[in-house]
Amino acid sequence: MEVTRQQFNGLGEVIDELHGLFEEWEREEALLSHLDPDTIQLFRLAVHEWVANLVQHADFADRTPDITLDVIPNGRRVRCVIEDNSEGFPFPEQIIVQRNALTPFPERGMGLLMLNAATEYFEYSQTENGRRRLEFTVSSDADSCLDIPFS
Amino acid sequence: MQATTMNFQIEPVTHDTVVIRIGKALDFRNAADFKAAAQEQVRSGIRSFILDFNDTGILDSTGLGSIFSLYRQVSPMSGQVVFASVSRPVQVVVQLTRTYKVFRQFPSVDAAREALR
Repeated sequence: MEVTRQQFNGLGEVIDELHGLFEEWEREEALLSHLDPDTIQLFRLAVHEWVANLVQHADFADRTPDITLDVIPNGRRVRCVIEDNSEGFPFPEQIIVQRNALTPFPERGMGLLMLNAATEYFEYSQTENGRRRLEFTVSSDADSCLDIPFS
Repeated sequence: MQATTMNFQIEPVTHDTVVIRIGKALDFRNAADFKAAAQEQVRSGIRSFILDFNDTGILDSTGLGSIFSLYRQVSPMSGQVVFASVSRPVQVVVQLTRTYKVFRQFPSVDAAREALR
């Protein structure tokens, strides 16, 4: 399977660069053309939420942030691997904390839950060279839902 | 008269209703600006908000949270928040989070204006 790799180094620009890439992929109807438009948006949302989490909360110590995004189309799914050189998060434990802390119409604390809801499968680990690695898939066949309390 | 407050165009509809043009993104980078702009409108007597998502490519969890915050503020005062001209990226978030149960949607800003007059 073909892997498309992108690399980002500036936390101030990464979100704009990321969405610029998605717009380019959609315009060219190439990389993600095997997915329906809603699934592409769901995938884009999942990537955005994780990278936004890195931008807002990750500790890169004195290192220049280095984030890589691998996109691997796979039938009616797309697999994604995002690696970074931060200190990492207590994830996915943090998802349970966020879920339990959800209040009606929450203002914060939905990011990881949204990522969880948008993805079919995910795994967070540390690589042999100490990088943090999030891997997930988004499927055209999943009926994704985040249960937010409205009362 | 149209005003631009901290990157959001705000357009009066009636004495207590405005349209806010969300623009390209409502996310963690500008959600605080949106909240401040909306709060300023609430302080000046606005109770109903039409959010125009026509050009919006990004609505993330923090952006949605800022809309929830506005809803929590105006709903006890019989106010409302409605969505208009919802783009595909925003519709995906609406479907994922089931927020269509709370925020009425209109195909255009004009349709929302008519409904809220």
